[in-house]
Amino acid sequence: MSTDKKPPPLSLHELQQLQWLLGGVLALFSAWTVFYLDVEAWTMVGLTTLGVAAALVRPEWPAYVPTWVHRLAFPVIALTTLYDLWSAGQVLPAMVRLDLMLLLYRGISYRARRDDLQLVVLGLFLVVVAGVLSVSIAFAVQIVVFTACALALLLVVTLTDAAQGGSAPPLAKANVRPAWVAHLDWGRLLRRLREVADWRVVTLGLALFVGVVVVSGLLFLAIPRFQIESGLFLDRFIAKKARTGFSENIRFGDVNDIIQDDGLAVSIDVTDPRQMPATPYLRMLVLDEYRLEGGFRLSAGLRRATFEAERTTAQFAGTGRGRFAEAVAWTIYLESGVSRFLPLPGPFHLLRFSEAQNVQFSPRLQVVSLRNEPASMTAFRLESPVTAAVLPDAKFTLTLKEAPRDDAGRWRRSARLMLGLPLIGEDQIKLGQIADEILAGNVTMPPLEFARRAGEWLGRRHSYALGSRLPEGRGDPLVRWLGSREPGHCELFAGSFVLLARVAGYPARLVVGFKGGTWNAFSNNLTLRNRDAHAWAEIWNGENAWVRVDPTPGALSAVGDTEPTGSAAQERRLDRSWTARLESLRVFWYRRIVNFDQRTQLEIFRALKAATQRTGARLREAVEQGWRRGRAWLAQPWGAQRAATVLGGAAVVAGACWLAWKFRRDWRWQWRQRSGRRVDPVRREAGRWLRRLTGRTVSAGGEAAHAAVCAELERLRYGAPETWPEPAAVFRRARATAACAPTCPTRRG
Amino acid sequence: MASVATASPRRFWRRLLWSLVFPRARQRIQPTVSGTILIALALCIGTAAYNSANNILFITLSLLLACLVLSGVLSWLNLRGIRWRLQAEPPWRVGEETTVALALHNGKRVLPTYGLWFDFKAVPETPVAEDAPPATAARPKRTRERPLREILAAADRAVTRGRRYLGDRLPPGGDVPLHWNFTPMRRGRVQLAVENVGSLFPFGFLRKSHALDLCRDLVVWPAPVEYRRWGGVAARLPSPGERIRRTGNSADLLALRRYAPGDSHRLIHWKASARTRQLLVRQFGAESQEGYALRFEPAAELWPRAEQFELAVSFAGTLAEDLFRAGRLQAVALGAEPPFAVRRGADLETFLDRLAVVERTPGPASALSTGTAPGHRNLITFAPEGARTVAAYVDGQKTAST
Repeated sequence: MSTDKKPPPLSLHELQQLQWLLGGVLALFSAWTVFYLDVEAWTMVGLTTLGVAAALVRPEWPAYVPTWVHRLAFPVIALTTLYDLWSAGQVLPAMVRLDLMLLLYRGISYRARRDDLQLVVLGLFLVVVAGVLSVSIAFAVQIVVFTACALALLLVVTLTDAAQGGSAPPLAKANVRPAWVAHLDWGRLLRRLREVADWRVVTLGLALFVGVVVVSGLLFLAIPRFQIESGLFLDRFIAKKARTGFSENIRFGDVNDIIQDDGLAVSIDVTDPRQMPATPYLRMLVLDEYRLEGGFRLSAGLRRATFEAERTTAQFAGTGRGRFAEAVAWTIYLESGVSRFLPLPGPFHLLRFSEAQNVQFSPRLQVVSLRNEPASMTAFRLESPVTAAVLPDAKFTLTLKEAPRDDAGRWRRSARLMLGLPLIGEDQIKLGQIADEILAGNVTMPPLEFARRAGEWLGRRHSYALGSRLPEGRGDPLVRWLGSREPGHCELFAGSFVLLARVAGYPARLVVGFKGGTWNAFSNNLTLRNRDAHAWAEIWNGENAWVRVDPTPGALSAVGDTEPTGSAAQERRLDRSWTARLESLRVFWYRRIVNFDQRTQLEIFRALKAATQRTGARLREAVEQGWRRGRAWLAQPWGAQRAATVLGGAAVVAGACWLAWKFRRDWRWQWRQRSGRRVDPVRREAGRWLRRLTGRTVSAGGEAAHAAVCAELERLRYGAPETWPEPAAVFRRARATAACAPTCPTRRG
Repeated sequence: MASVATASPRRFWRRLLWSLVFPRARQRIQPTVSGTILIALALCIGTAAYNSANNILFITLSLLLACLVLSGVLSWLNLRGIRWRLQAEPPWRVGEETTVALALHNGKRVLPTYGLWFDFKAVPETPVAEDAPPATAARPKRTRERPLREILAAADRAVTRGRRYLGDRLPPGGDVPLHWNFTPMRRGRVQLAVENVGSLFPFGFLRKSHALDLCRDLVVWPAPVEYRRWGGVAARLPSPGERIRRTGNSADLLALRRYAPGDSHRLIHWKASARTRQLLVRQFGAESQEGYALRFEPAAELWPRAEQFELAVSFAGTLAEDLFRAGRLQAVALGAEPPFAVRRGADLETFLDRLAVVERTPGPASALSTGTAPGHRNLITFAPEGARTVAAYVDGQKTAST
């Protein structure tokens, strides 16, 4: 009766309508993933969205497209792509636009089975390319939703084919309206879907899909990884323009512009958070050449002198060895659009990328640059980094020793010695006067003392403000600002300090990077935003090293001092906001998924092995403990009452077991009847014995008994219950026959 | 005994492990076009993932592989709990379309089953008869030693195959019949089998099929043929004292037999039933004693041409049926066998079953079959007439021909 009340299953037309709906949704979803790519395809995305949405709402419209449009579609698409490749010269954007054109065409024309398959492949291409190039956590959501849609579409295609007798007939003409279009009513279809959906089947389907995600997660962990160290396969097909960030040329205000951006720039995982300074400085770029146009840059000479040749590698050795040797490691996740120069705390022992990169390293400057700005997040691991404010440079010491000096014993002004100063006339005089004021006649003042005094001088004359401006007038802008009492930002303070130091005869340079950051209390990592971008200076200490000087008012560290570390320092910058919660998800994605490699895999396997061994040891211990307790219990004195209690308990247990064995078939039969499985246990048992006896070789002389038992079993299995022999006796005989027969079964057909 | 106890679990685990890495015997898994594309995609993405060590690609690869695993699990669930029973009701005749039913039952409690197909096959027991080549003529080598390929092709042509799809879903606990219409092309024994059950469910990646041991042996009766009667030859009346016993509707009690479902209750012989403790019914003799005996001689000497022999078999079957319907068939016989009395439909069916499988026998035709032996009256025999037709003779006189 209950079967009669069930609504009829979906008809062929309803299945085809569902197929159209799922195909359209899949096309739209795939097209929208282009939003995550930095590809100029907005027109195509808009056209695809409009076209596919219109075809979804009014599926009769594709029938109005004339036949010649369908004939010309593919040649036009191919020619457009060729022109795109020729004009733009970039493979990947052209491929993305081609994919969108094909998606649009498939979305607005009636589809056969192979066309739906093509739709799935085209969509997968877009999702994967967007994921690879963005490395965004949104990819996880995109690929899961895409998989669900694609599997649902393929399932419906299979059901439609089965309903049409195994395979759908090919479409006669692209502009002939299929029969299902005439009966289409989306509201009615959704109601029908709700009617025919059995909640148990839906639940099972959802559970299976969750199972797919879990299995894919396990496969992701278990797939063996090899370090082939090739890579860069998609990056080379796209030329990405920097949206913001640090480059070799920094004009006054560039860093300040970056500070306006509140986006995430760098996330740092540290093996021991207590080693992280309270306000870490991350150096990205050293700028030595001051230009009259205003601003510093990395000079070509310094670049040639200090940078090694470019190499493609997944890891290379640095020059430093940290305080904690191998125990210390920082994993740094640099967001795209920040810079092609990597943020580093200082010297390091080893730098390891998650995939091979084209990289240039300057051991003297402790600067690492990639060939191109990364199109996606770049992760790298620093082994044993040094966070000291002093950077030794033995080669510069030699250079200074050999450099010519003037009569007063000062080095002659030279760009090579970080003493270059292109100022002329009044600017130089004004700058010299300020330097003299700071030196107060002591021309042999130690560099660090000069740095302290210059910082104080700048702090007295200028206050800190993000919205600062350079005073109007003639001459060098930085000198104008020095002469005024205008507030300034970090670039102005650091740049002014470098000029003052150089005019006073102390080699100095500008450094840009990040400073500070917050400690995410949820993901337990350091987060640096673009607003943490900073500029500071480094001055030569007169002996063998560059010393960090941060002349910006409010800088916590004194000249050359190492930042404090430890729990107290960590507590000072703890972030427990909702933004931190959301960013902890992104860090989890980077930490556990994007940055997962062979080493992490081995760590997981080792952890698994250790957990198994621990569990085994605990079990063994529990068994041994139980055994000891049992022995102690047995060793206790046995009185009559105790013996009677034990014997009684044993008898009760044995009786219960015997009853369970005796009536097992009846109980099972009743249970199966209650649960709706109405297969007689006697028949089931007979079937089981038949299977056991059917393939066996029969010993000589036992054929008759074997055949008789088999006949009785067949009667129990298939015959009417009135004609049954006594089942228990038959099963006893079957057991005896099986025991007599050899164990080796004959081959079954 | 100890070895029995230890060997079984070991065998069980070995078989389980082996079944996980290799399909079971007679199970076949083939990738479809979409499956091939999926595998190619997985290979490409895997290559790119290893080449670039990109975890996004590894995630995609894992998801593709997990989809394959899901496809296998759903396919297993789809086939689980499905029971089938082959229903093929005789009679089958050459040239007449017959419907074979496969009764399907879904034993699952929750999940429906979708998209199954079943491969039906009808295999004649003997290959197509061909004219025996002349014994003395020199045959070319290629003819004498027919290539194996030709033999297999001929055997394959004789096999009729069909595939039927389960279009609608099979609801949990539900039953649905699947019909296959089949037209036998030649008489004889036919093995009707359901070779495979297969499915593309759920995503169409893999074409999975299981071989089935579901078969039934059936007999295809010869095709009815049209024939012309040549009037003037009537059955001879029995001579005085001659008794021919056959069932009919007269008032004379002929015999008692066991009750069969469908028998009229008025025919039950209550006294005899009480005495023997089983239901017996009365059989009465026929009103008329006029009738024919039919004998068919399969000797190769009589039937040198195979197609003429086939025609003769069909003619004999058709004539036997027509005479039985007219209540004028008394006995039948094949070759030199003694005649077999035809009292009810089952007797005729037995004769038709035997006719269906009769083959030309070497040696001369018996004198009984030619209708020339003394002591046989109203005997219908068959003989070739010309190169193509067959004639029936009653006591040596031509009475009908094809």
